[in-house]
Amino acid sequence: MYSQREVFFILNDSQICDLINIGLQGKADLAEIYLEHSNNSAVNLLDNRVVGATSSIIEGVGIRLLSGVNQVYVYSNGDDFDELVKLCTEASKAINGDTIHTAEELQKLSSLEVYTPKINPVELSKSDFVSYLRQAGSFALDFDNRIKKVTSSITASNKTYRVCNSRGVNVENRNSRTRMSVAVIAQDESNQQAGGRIAPGTLRGFEFFNEYPLIEKTQKICESAIRMLSSGYAPSGKMPVVIGNGFGGVILHEACVHALEATSVGIKSSCFTDMIGKQIAAPCVTARDNARLEGEWGSYLYDSEGTPSSDLLLIENGILKNYLVDELGSRRMPGFKSTGCARRQNCAFAPTSRMSNTYFTNGKERPEDIIADTEYGLYAADMGGGSVDTATGEFNFAVNEGYMIRNGKICEPVRGATLIGKGPEVLMNIDRIGNDLEHAAGMCGSLSGNVPTNVGQPTIRVSSILVGGRE
Amino acid sequence: MDANNVKDFLDKVITKAIDSGFEEAESIYKYGAGSAVSIFEGEVSNYENNSEQHIGFMGKLDKQMGSSKTSIVDISSVDYLVNSALDNHKVKNDEDEDFFYCDKENSDLYFNELSDASYKNGFERFRDTGLELEKAILNCDETIKAVDYLQVGYSKTIRILKNSLGLTEHTEGDLLTIGAEARCEKDGVVKTGYHIWYGRDIDEFKIDEFVSELRQRTCSKLGASSISSGIYKVILSQDAFVSLFSSYASSLSAFSIQKGMSLLKDKVNEVVASPLLTIREIPMYDKALLKFPFDNSGVLTYDKDIFKDGKFVQPLYTLKTAHKDNVKPTGNDFGGAEYTNLVLTPGDKNLEELAKEVGEGLYITDLNGLHAGINAVSGDFSLLCEGFLIKDGRIDHPVEQITVAGNYLDLLKNICAIGSDVKNISDGEGEFFCPSVVIKEMNIAGEAD
Repeated sequence: MYSQREVFFILNDSQICDLINIGLQGKADLAEIYLEHSNNSAVNLLDNRVVGATSSIIEGVGIRLLSGVNQVYVYSNGDDFDELVKLCTEASKAINGDTIHTAEELQKLSSLEVYTPKINPVELSKSDFVSYLRQAGSFALDFDNRIKKVTSSITASNKTYRVCNSRGVNVENRNSRTRMSVAVIAQDESNQQAGGRIAPGTLRGFEFFNEYPLIEKTQKICESAIRMLSSGYAPSGKMPVVIGNGFGGVILHEACVHALEATSVGIKSSCFTDMIGKQIAAPCVTARDNARLEGEWGSYLYDSEGTPSSDLLLIENGILKNYLVDELGSRRMPGFKSTGCARRQNCAFAPTSRMSNTYFTNGKERPEDIIADTEYGLYAADMGGGSVDTATGEFNFAVNEGYMIRNGKICEPVRGATLIGKGPEVLMNIDRIGNDLEHAAGMCGSLSGNVPTNVGQPTIRVSSILVGGRE
Repeated sequence: MDANNVKDFLDKVITKAIDSGFEEAESIYKYGAGSAVSIFEGEVSNYENNSEQHIGFMGKLDKQMGSSKTSIVDISSVDYLVNSALDNHKVKNDEDEDFFYCDKENSDLYFNELSDASYKNGFERFRDTGLELEKAILNCDETIKAVDYLQVGYSKTIRILKNSLGLTEHTEGDLLTIGAEARCEKDGVVKTGYHIWYGRDIDEFKIDEFVSELRQRTCSKLGASSISSGIYKVILSQDAFVSLFSSYASSLSAFSIQKGMSLLKDKVNEVVASPLLTIREIPMYDKALLKFPFDNSGVLTYDKDIFKDGKFVQPLYTLKTAHKDNVKPTGNDFGGAEYTNLVLTPGDKNLEELAKEVGEGLYITDLNGLHAGINAVSGDFSLLCEGFLIKDGRIDHPVEQITVAGNYLDLLKNICAIGSDVKNISDGEGEFFCPSVVIKEMNIAGEAD
């Protein structure tokens, strides 16, 4: 590993304070300096050959000024302090406050690591990544001659960010994130093709992958891809849908929690605006957004405004309890404080309210009982991604691996199904919750870029949802 | 850093790379700067201003390349870039050889697309335009209750590349964007609509035209209902067709074809679509906002058909994939194979005439969930869509909560008419000039009985 500098950040404390004071000259009531340094490493394999290997170091500084609900954000990744002073001066001229505020003295730096990895992935050699991925690739290619392609990758990032503001906040976060992906494509003699993918992500360092059941999971996606080769098209129409645990939690992410973010609630555009204390989901539904789950992909200790993260109860027994609120959101939503959910992809983005590890909590039912009690419907064993319009609540998400349920039994595989609906309606239609909660890693895209988030859920059943198929 | 300093810096990286054992080397400097003003409820809610730069490096040794990148553009980066790339090179064992390029006749490439009108841009002008636009949107229709997003922005990019074969490539360009999302409400039903304008001169932005289009995209959705599941004859709007085409764009790349991961593998020069379909790439198209005299590897671009009378005639090549197929590169290397400006040959009927021809069917204006609801390998898709019912040969009431499902190649074969209503839509590296397209039959799932 080659490090360009011993000191990560291009600004010292005195320069940070200078920028805060310049920022306040334009009558902002809050000036915030965000510094970021990331060291990244990645490899990509195709059929076990290394087709890509790269390293990068990215630094930058973001300066944010707030006056009431008005925001000015400037950033640069140059290392010229004079250029930053110029940017900050321009920013302070663009803000329109009433009085000049005085900065509080910076507190003693709190330097925190959300999880200390035993094996830091960025410090590993690329050949360690390659050896790991080849285990999966060799297994998949030998598993069945209908497995025709295997693509795999590991991306690892050591990221440090420091947040200082005119209220004296002075927090530095360090984290090390790693994500691995193995995808297989199966093809039969009639050229029918189907795929399967695993993509776990973690804050736990590479020790997570050494304990990860790589071969067992690879075998599962190979088996699934081969099963799906013989699938027919999914039916169309409204029907009960049992959604499998883990990545199935994308239904909560898309159908509900995006519309609980202050980004949309704060400007009253969300379909869940002014609904705190009201029934928004079936009584069996409880949901949380917990940024403090140890070592999980979406976890962090302090958000990118320097506020401590939280384990937030969103929905309890169907009643809406909390929104995800950042600093700007709290200014637009009287009575709501920041919940420590302000996140951003990097310093190119101003922070906004985002999810971390979002999930339906466990119920008491066994997944097999939920299936057994379903006479006819769709079993969505594995979900793809989706999207939502937070104003109308209209969402869509894709079923990667689906099966018909007939007379309480999982039957033939089906492909090409999309689930659509309106968030407020589908939440009320959840009628069964399993006891097999699992989390799954993903990337969530929104106003402040792409951030790592977990989705999660136990097996659930939605009594009626529109399945968009072809039969 | 000015361009000459950048070139000197890139030379230092390349010299260090060759001294360190690389046989060939290439280094790229990228700079981007921009500003944007967001308006909400009559105020500037957000103002952004930024600049960023990166240096990228690729070194070739024994037919394989290693790469690296940093945002720190100073002398300390030279060792990092070269040494990291050497480390990365050690694990590479791609079966195909990597290449750099330099055409000695065209080794010093320069293209400047910076607008003469950029002096008009600035905080005050953006703010005033945004405030005026917000007011106009709110006043255009009584059902419009809010403008949830409105941003006026400007971005500028500089890209300078040098390689050890003697190539120097230097491009500069800029772009203005004005985007807004409106929210309308009637009888408790909420709908949203989004529209974006691209340009180079803010004086060319016409508020009335923008508001009219945004109003159409928003308020016309009110009163929507679902429809019964079934097979419908469908008009795909320009936006809907381009978004689907774009989602399957990887099937055009020679890389996907060579690796057996494209729908179009073994189908070059075969009929894969209706004979009505001809799509031509015109990199320097005079109606396009962005133009492309050369690609990112230094290869000059040229006009060519991608689909001709329903035949797939031209995969998109990079240096690497062209070498493998023993053909000339096609000028489509933009970090991977990518198209520039596309033109779908239009027909002679406008939208109303197409609807009349369809008689009973569906006009699909938007497709959602494209990032998840399509299978790039099998071609199957199932997507949430919005649009209008076509009844008695006329576009009738709006529809919602329906999905459209099918297979991409079947869809291309089932094109039965093409409109004359060409619209330019941002896509690929440039724009797609596309008319409405009529599909003979598509599977629609709805919830009406």
